[in-house]
Amino acid sequence: MPSICFYFQVHQPVRLNRFSVFNIGNQEEPFFTYFDHSLNKKIFEKVANKCYLPTNKLLLELIRKYDGRFRISFSLTGTFVEYCERYLPNVLDSFKDLFKTGAVDLIDETYFHSLSGLYDDLEEFEDQVKMHRQMIKRIFNYKPKVFRNTEAIYDNRIARKVSEMGYKGILTEGAEKILGWRSPNFVYKALNSPLKVLMRNYKLSDDVGFRFSARNWPGYPLTADKYANWMSNSFGDVINLFMDYETFGEHQWTETGIFEFLRHLPGEVFKHDCLDFATVSEAVERYNAVDEVDVPWAISWADEDRNVSTWLGNNMQIACFNELKDIGRKLKKKKNMDLLYVWRLLQTSDHLYYMSTKGFEDGAVHAYFSPYDIPYDGFINYMNILQDLKDKVDAR
Amino acid sequence: MKIAMIGWEYPPFKVGGLGTHCYGLTNGLADKNVHVDFYMPKTKYKVKSDKSNLNIIEVGEAEIYPYDIVDDKEIGGKIFDAIKRYNELLLKRVKGNYDLIHCHDWLTMEAAVQLKEKMGIPLVLTVHSTEYDRSGWLHPNQWFIDHERWGMQHADRIIAVSEFTKRVVVDKYGIPESKITVVHNAVYPIGESEKQNVVLFLGRLTIQKGPEFFLKAAKKVLEYEDAKFVVAGVGDMLPKLIEQAVHMGISNKVIFTGALTEDEVRHIYKISSVYVMPSVSEPFGITALEAISAGTPTIVSKSAGVSEVLKSVFKVDFWDTDEMANKIIAILRYEPLRDHMGQSSKREVQLFTWDRVAERTIAVYRGIA
Repeated sequence: MPSICFYFQVHQPVRLNRFSVFNIGNQEEPFFTYFDHSLNKKIFEKVANKCYLPTNKLLLELIRKYDGRFRISFSLTGTFVEYCERYLPNVLDSFKDLFKTGAVDLIDETYFHSLSGLYDDLEEFEDQVKMHRQMIKRIFNYKPKVFRNTEAIYDNRIARKVSEMGYKGILTEGAEKILGWRSPNFVYKALNSPLKVLMRNYKLSDDVGFRFSARNWPGYPLTADKYANWMSNSFGDVINLFMDYETFGEHQWTETGIFEFLRHLPGEVFKHDCLDFATVSEAVERYNAVDEVDVPWAISWADEDRNVSTWLGNNMQIACFNELKDIGRKLKKKKNMDLLYVWRLLQTSDHLYYMSTKGFEDGAVHAYFSPYDIPYDGFINYMNILQDLKDKVDAR
Repeated sequence: MKIAMIGWEYPPFKVGGLGTHCYGLTNGLADKNVHVDFYMPKTKYKVKSDKSNLNIIEVGEAEIYPYDIVDDKEIGGKIFDAIKRYNELLLKRVKGNYDLIHCHDWLTMEAAVQLKEKMGIPLVLTVHSTEYDRSGWLHPNQWFIDHERWGMQHADRIIAVSEFTKRVVVDKYGIPESKITVVHNAVYPIGESEKQNVVLFLGRLTIQKGPEFFLKAAKKVLEYEDAKFVVAGVGDMLPKLIEQAVHMGISNKVIFTGALTEDEVRHIYKISSVYVMPSVSEPFGITALEAISAGTPTIVSKSAGVSEVLKSVFKVDFWDTDEMANKIIAILRYEPLRDHMGQSSKREVQLFTWDRVAERTIAVYRGIA
């Protein structure tokens, strides 16, 4: 009897201001000159109204309607929570209401949705995970048992660190190059570690996340009963449906019928005796690991490549990433909390994502999410800011 | 298929993209077994073809430099006389069993329309630029506009070098959209060599091409980054630009090359690190394809036709010299950006071949002949 394991990533990056070379070396406070606060507020409010508030409301109704049998999991990034606290506290309240039902689990990640898991040492990674843990403790009075790294980036080294930090489970992509003939619909464990690994069923997840409104897809239109049927025919212990929360109402607009799909899904699932829902913690507790996964090179849930080439695929991205790490090394010695915070906001993976120059198909997805016309603009803007930050770190 | 094509410039005698286009198009057509007689004014250069089905036929005595029309009435008058004589000679000289006539821009319209009527065959007109472009949209001359409209009305089909130009032909000249086909220009591959710290402007030094914006951007760049700024080309603005550079105190960093040979042009493309095309109005902008083909990262004016078809270039407003300077500095300063843009835009440009231009032009011919 497979348990459906719904997990939603809830994240908003702190987008940058236009920062030309002429701005480098100015005397202003980085927090105000680097980030476009009015744009960020506008986007956050838009997504809150299109996605967060209506979806939370619907999920709360569904949990109540099915008496807690409909179960889901979330991770909220630190930058997202800061947006809530600064602009729309009622969004955070609606997440608290969901959590109070007992049918909702929370997952830890890096506070800044960063690539710190790929740095030369994992000190910064650990700091950011601890920050996230403290935030969840403060807001929800809860200590997550399961971890998910930025964009499901995973390798053996990250898994070992996450296990050391006391987590019982971790989420990542059900990448074929790792699983081979094995199915993502089972619980696995990390290499030489008790940490359990939940592997995303990318086919079923992307049916909702990417293909839901694609008219040229044979599965179109995707209805709740059709989808529940597909899942009931699945073999295994878990069906891991991991996706961006913004799928609901933002990536897939209301007009596509995504909310109607979600509204009917639990009812259709419960028509099949073989299916139920489980949170990530429950899945990790309930099922034994059937095998070990060995991931020497980082995988992720992004793009067709399912590796880290989305963020580190070209030399512009690598140059920025190296610059960012260099600045961090200097900064850690300085104990300047303002600059440290700004540096961390700049670590959010989205900034590097906007510079991706990958092929047309992936590129089209990138373009949809990018505030820049072309990746080169993203590079110049970000690199200029890093140059300015470097000067300021040296000066203070 | 046999075509009478009427032009006025052809390499090595060449002042702009029209000559490049005629060369690429006629050779592309000849390779596809179209017989082309290319009529042009007699020049001091030896213009020749090595293809048996492409004949270059020189007509008359006068060279025509149509872009030199300035305020000088006397020179202006001479050019008009030369053009008139050329058109009259064309009427006598163009003879043969042609399937259609193909002419380029306003200068040969007079003869082309009369030949079309005399010979009873269709006329194709390629619009490379309009009076609005050449005047930088400031003070277009009504005589040219009327003449261009007259030619466009008499042509059976019009080829525009960009969607931008098609829009102008529809909106400003009242020509029905259905008569116009867009065929973007192309480039013969140039190849790369060692880059130097050079930022390049290349084009006629006229109001249309926006060279003064290049100098303004240069001034801003030089406050932050060292580089040589090359202004390649000739035109009526040259004295004014030299004065402007001196006045801005950057004359030691700006090089005015004057007229360049084809080899010199290729060389300067190859050694430049940034190419800037700040045109006020640019129907297409073949020079951008040429620079990119030489591996040079390129910044083009948003209003240039070429910006419709390329992704890996920067597009700026021609008047926004701050942004232009910002982009120039970034390309000079950040090697990964320079490398990536250079290679990626070059891959894009490889799709722009004269073979493809010929193929699309033949499709237009087949629609009427």
